[in-house]
Amino acid sequence: MEIQVSDLLVGLLVLVLGLVGLYLASGALDDEIYIFGLGLALFAAVFDIGLVKRHYDRMQAAQAEAKRHV
Amino acid sequence: MSDLAFATAAVPARLPVEYNEAIVKKFLIASVFWGIVAFLVGIYLATELCWPSFNLGLSFLNFGRLRPVHTSAGIFAFGGNALFATSLYVVQRTCRTRLFGGDALADFLFWGYNFFIVMAALSYVLGYSRSQEYSEPEWHITLFLVLVWVLYAVVFIGTLLLREEPHIYVANWFYLAFILTVAVLVLGNNAELPVSVFSAKSYVVYSGVQNALVQWWYGHNAVGFFLTAGFLGMMYYFIPKQANRPIYSYRLSIVHFWSLIFLYIWAGPHHLHWTSLPDWTQTLGMAFSIMLWMPSWGGMINGLMTLSGAWDKLRTDPALRFSVTAVGFYGMSTFEGPMMSIRDVNALSHYTDWTIGHVHSGVLGWVAFISFGAFYYLVPALWKRSGIYSSRLIAWHYWIATLGIVFYISSMWVAGIMQGLMWRAYDQFGFLQYSFAESVVAVHPYYVIRLLGGLLFLIGALIMVYNLIMTVRSPSTARQEATLPSGVAVAGG
Amino acid sequence: MVIRHEWIEKNAILMLVLVLVVISVGGIVEIVPLFTIETTVEHVQGVRPYSPLELKGRDIYVREGCYLCHSQQIRALKDEVERYGHYSLAAESMYDHPFQWGSKRIGPDLARVGGKYSNDWHYAHLMNPQALVPESLMPHYAFLAATPLDYEYVADNMRTLRTLGVPYTDEEIVKAKDDLEAQAKPDADTADLLKRYAKAVSVPGNGRQPTELDALVAYLQVLGTMVNFADTTTEQLQQ
Repeated sequence: MEIQVSDLLVGLLVLVLGLVGLYLASGALDDEIYIFGLGLALFAAVFDIGLVKRHYDRMQAAQAEAKRHV
Repeated sequence: MSDLAFATAAVPARLPVEYNEAIVKKFLIASVFWGIVAFLVGIYLATELCWPSFNLGLSFLNFGRLRPVHTSAGIFAFGGNALFATSLYVVQRTCRTRLFGGDALADFLFWGYNFFIVMAALSYVLGYSRSQEYSEPEWHITLFLVLVWVLYAVVFIGTLLLREEPHIYVANWFYLAFILTVAVLVLGNNAELPVSVFSAKSYVVYSGVQNALVQWWYGHNAVGFFLTAGFLGMMYYFIPKQANRPIYSYRLSIVHFWSLIFLYIWAGPHHLHWTSLPDWTQTLGMAFSIMLWMPSWGGMINGLMTLSGAWDKLRTDPALRFSVTAVGFYGMSTFEGPMMSIRDVNALSHYTDWTIGHVHSGVLGWVAFISFGAFYYLVPALWKRSGIYSSRLIAWHYWIATLGIVFYISSMWVAGIMQGLMWRAYDQFGFLQYSFAESVVAVHPYYVIRLLGGLLFLIGALIMVYNLIMTVRSPSTARQEATLPSGVAVAGG
Repeated sequence: MVIRHEWIEKNAILMLVLVLVVISVGGIVEIVPLFTIETTVEHVQGVRPYSPLELKGRDIYVREGCYLCHSQQIRALKDEVERYGHYSLAAESMYDHPFQWGSKRIGPDLARVGGKYSNDWHYAHLMNPQALVPESLMPHYAFLAATPLDYEYVADNMRTLRTLGVPYTDEEIVKAKDDLEAQAKPDADTADLLKRYAKAVSVPGNGRQPTELDALVAYLQVLGTMVNFADTTTEQLQQ
């Protein structure tokens, strides 16, 4: 099943955001940047895992659909 | 081509469009959730103002840190999610095009925007704030918002560019103006230098009087574009849908749209009357604020007169009642605003609770009510139900909430005018008659009434939450066949 | 020749451009002259940047949202001038990044609170406002007394402000921590500090670490004191 280009780009953007978050948290001079950085990293991880999961869920659903029509 | 012709023109047979409704559902649920949060925090703040021991001596619960949680939750969380939900619904249907950008991008808008909200609220209670009203989030959070917002603009404008309908429907003019102007305002007001990229603390580029005007250029237009233009977009779609009537006047929409977006921008200085802002700027702000009355009422007239020939629907459709009442409150607030912008009226009203009353007649009466009207339309439409679970509960919501608003605004009018008069009162010897503390004592009973008003508004909203959940889950609202909910006109599908 | 709105409605990019043009006018006309008209900020003497301790106190005032209940802008209205003092000048907030004029008075205006109450009064009031003003709606800020002031990077704050136009000198930045400590300790020699920051008020401190409460009181005690109105002329006050 084709991966949408836009979905791939969004996934990459979010990955970069996650890395930015880790970078900020690593040098944080106050609690707020630390929390924000970690929050971004967590957000990015959950979001991207969600994207990957949805891709495979859709692929499996499409395969199951195809099998039923054979 | 008039909207009437547009609405009734024969639509050639086309393939049905598969709209992205999942994203609309997400934003709608978030808006309802955050609305309850905003009302709850507001009630807690109102309680603190009645009995300050409720501050509990805790840094993260005190009024100063908690108030921006309330205003951000009300404007950006409740209002913002409602605008996302409805703008993405309306742009797809009026363009007959699925949302541009793909599923992941739409989901990023949702999760990203709500991440921004959570981070902002957390930062305030932890003690990080720019101390600029409705613009409190520090630089790092605002930067993230800008990213989300740019992508929102891309999705919305992309959908417009790919539209199958040649004309851009009027609701989209307002949504577009809202999206673009908010971007300009946020960027302009947030010109700031962090002390370090690893520090949440930043200093804004502007200072003193220039900062004051930039802030209120921003602040007034956060009202004008976020809370007004965006929600007028909502009005322009959902009132004709619920009433099953075309918009009253195409020409009026053109005139009031362009004059509204032009005039609103100038109104900022009315927040700074009698201050060290130069007189010429104050006068410009006052003059344009008064002129602003006209295009605002143009919008009100267009919304209300759309009901012509269908006024009886107000008796039979309680959801429509919300939308129409919203427009009534919009008219009221946009009359009160210009009045309060007059320098000599403002001399009394500034710094008092009259301003708070004015704000809440707008946000509760206009913004919240037009959103409730849209939710009552959208939930059955999106979840493919036959209708709202209980029409009677909508009516209960309506009357309890309206009573709440009336208590809120009238108590604040009395409190505000009383404060203003007490502060300027002289006794027979020519001395100031009242100490500041005496004015605080005098308004206490009205603060209690205001609290009651807020409680009623919350109760109404909780009734709505129950009703909407039951609409989605109850077998009684399951659709028998492939019929559409009543009130769906041809235009836009 | 008639411009048909239909053309705009059928062209999203044209609509976008026109919206941006239309909404830009008001902001430009109102905001730009405030930077270019020279008398917007009155030519009075006495206004100076905040001392390091006052600056930290101001940052606390900002983050606690004090502006939400207290204004810092006395309007040019008779009763207000009588209650609070000379109406506020734009010059008095020229170094305020951000401005704290406020928009609501749940408590009184603070533009000229400096010097009106003793340090002890401020400490007692901030710890428990109702003990001094029973009708007060103000929260308790005792937690500020329990929080040591983090002033490790105060010089960086001053450098950032200097980049934005606040005229801190090199000497002031180098001596930032020293000046802060001098202002926060009761028996310190403040001659040097006062050379750089006229009218800076020393706060008692507890003899150990400066606390956040010390900083806030130092800030409050300088508010509205910088300009000597007895020396200003009408011409200087014109905008």
